[in-house]
Amino acid sequence: MISRRTLVKSGAGTIAAAALGMPAIAQAPKKISFLTWNIIDQEPMIRGWIARFMKDRPGVEVEWLDKKGPEIPVFYQTQLAAGTPPDVINTQGALGLEYAGQGALLDLTPRLNAEADVRTRFNADYLSNWVYEGSNYMLPFYITKTLLFYNKPMFQKAGLAGPPQSFDEILASAQKLTASDASGFLTLNFDWLYWPLYAMNGVDLLSKDLTKATFNTPKAIEVTERLAKATEAGAINKISWTGRWVEPNGAFAAGNVGMLHAHSPAYFFVKGQGKWVTPETLGVAHAPGGFATPNSHGLGISKASKNPDLAWDFLKFVTNEGAQELGVNRKLVTGNVGVDARNLAELEKNDPLVHAILKTQLEHTDKMVGNWRLGNDSRVKEAFWPELQNVLLGRKDAKTALADAERKVARELKRG
Amino acid sequence: MMPAAGRVEGWRDDWWRRRRTRELALIACFLLPSITVFFLYRVLPLGWNVLLSFQYWSPLRPARWAGLDHYEEMLLHDDVFWQALQNTLIFIGVSPLAILFALGIALLVNSDLKGAAIYRSIIFLSYPLMTVAVGIIWRWMYDERGGIINFVLRESGLASKPIPFLQSFEWALPSVIVAEVWQILGFYMIIILTGLQSIPPHLYEAAAIDGAPRWAQFWRITLPMLKPSLFLCAVVGILNSFTSFDLVYIMTNGGPGHATELLITLIYKSGFGQTKFDYAAALTVVQFALLLALTYLANRAVGGNAGTLQR
Repeated sequence: MISRRTLVKSGAGTIAAAALGMPAIAQAPKKISFLTWNIIDQEPMIRGWIARFMKDRPGVEVEWLDKKGPEIPVFYQTQLAAGTPPDVINTQGALGLEYAGQGALLDLTPRLNAEADVRTRFNADYLSNWVYEGSNYMLPFYITKTLLFYNKPMFQKAGLAGPPQSFDEILASAQKLTASDASGFLTLNFDWLYWPLYAMNGVDLLSKDLTKATFNTPKAIEVTERLAKATEAGAINKISWTGRWVEPNGAFAAGNVGMLHAHSPAYFFVKGQGKWVTPETLGVAHAPGGFATPNSHGLGISKASKNPDLAWDFLKFVTNEGAQELGVNRKLVTGNVGVDARNLAELEKNDPLVHAILKTQLEHTDKMVGNWRLGNDSRVKEAFWPELQNVLLGRKDAKTALADAERKVARELKRG
Repeated sequence: MMPAAGRVEGWRDDWWRRRRTRELALIACFLLPSITVFFLYRVLPLGWNVLLSFQYWSPLRPARWAGLDHYEEMLLHDDVFWQALQNTLIFIGVSPLAILFALGIALLVNSDLKGAAIYRSIIFLSYPLMTVAVGIIWRWMYDERGGIINFVLRESGLASKPIPFLQSFEWALPSVIVAEVWQILGFYMIIILTGLQSIPPHLYEAAAIDGAPRWAQFWRITLPMLKPSLFLCAVVGILNSFTSFDLVYIMTNGGPGHATELLITLIYKSGFGQTKFDYAAALTVVQFALLLALTYLANRAVGGNAGTLQR
């Protein structure tokens, strides 16, 4: 049995320990977490950023998490539901807008308005990709949009002088490039990356106010029918409408596809697999009309962050001090105008092909399409794309499929 | 005053009652952890899922009552649901064929066939493989340009041009089903083989003495005695058809179009791809109801007493 003396001693000891521990609790570091999208290969660089950021801010801690593309939505949404989302999040494509639409992200507009130097740091067209209902929810981390790669030896063999300048020329060139074991044209299809093919024909998916489907027009039907016919004839490789990333890029890397319509990171995949790829053999051009679909990575702050000011500090740090290193290491453009200009100047001397590719990413940025500022982009995409696939792979006629797609898209828009 | 015999009897009754109570308490103690886990991780989520299916909900918005809206959307407006349901039923429908195939193989490797043990091992090898690995292997085998299947078909003159197995609406679902059957065939075979080997040989001896032909022995002895094994295969086959998420996700991601979409992949896409957790919950309720109905039918098909203890 415990004696009264022992009990009193234990009680006093506990109170003393708690009192001693209180300053430690009060001094617990301010912590933020940073979730990135599949850039584990850049671990030393990111750890370096975090170390530098923490060194300048004693008492601050940054935890880094990296997830692969398909894992990010699952991870982030379960964290949201649990009320513990990462403070700073990196998303690709329109996902950031979806999270903004759900109310998961902090509106960065007041901060951007208060710090004009931060706003002007970025290419305005890219920055506007993350504007949802008038507010900006993300800053560019690294940016990409589609362009046209072409196989110069195949072009020469087919007697083609250069890359196509119109939709008609794309199809005509593709037909000329087609042989028993070769096809003329391939496009990536995820995240609306094929949309420039419609945009260059004056077809738009939605009305300006994003409330109505506007794609079910005679012109859209005609374009779709022509794409389907070219696919049937083998001029457009079927993988365009079935593959995602590995298959189409792999097919172009194999050296028997004339053109690849893809975003800039595709180059590194193609270069890695295609022995034929050199500055002399790989051509780079804008798609006709300069139309391109962006598929950039942005950085945002979760609304539930307990340290939004610190998270904002970190965002500014990464998109400025970090951007230079990121651009050099990964040979990409970051959307930070000053950083990109410096890096491109270096690349022009050291790697002219990558320079040519990245240069396209900063040109015609006013012609970006397929980047509707919707909070339910994935649902609209899911309503539209399978119907288009039905036509392109010969399962339905264009008129029926586009009418069905219109009904489904309208339903999603109404659902909000 | 109670007579001595009555007192003894009363005391004995009390003793038995106390002992029974103690036993029940002990049983309850042993069961409690499992029941708690089952309740927390099965019953509670299922109940919440049913509730969610009648609400509008997303992680950051308060729930609102939706009534039957999600079910109306699913049944009246969502073509993809019907396609996914049809594909799931086709997947399930293939299970009996696969079981029949496995039965044939099990009969073969259970015979005096030379090298039967080796064949048995080879056929079973596919089962312990990770489904993701199976999906990747088959995806490459089906590949239009470099896949071995297209190579063999073209080299042997059976096909004049490559078949886009996973890229065509016609071929995609059968191709995924073949991979699915290939993987589970080994499991079916082992279960049926175990059943075959537990049939007492004297039944066949007696039948042979009575002059019963081989086919009659198969129909009258083998098949009835294999009922529990076949039921197990059928249930596992149904469950497997409902949960073939990884194989479909790896091989086709439900495409092209929704040609290989299953209910389970649609649930995942609705929830995590399109943040329609409420709609995904309604789909889950339908899938659960379907699963219950099919398990009930399978149980009825084998006499309604599958899983009961034999004393």
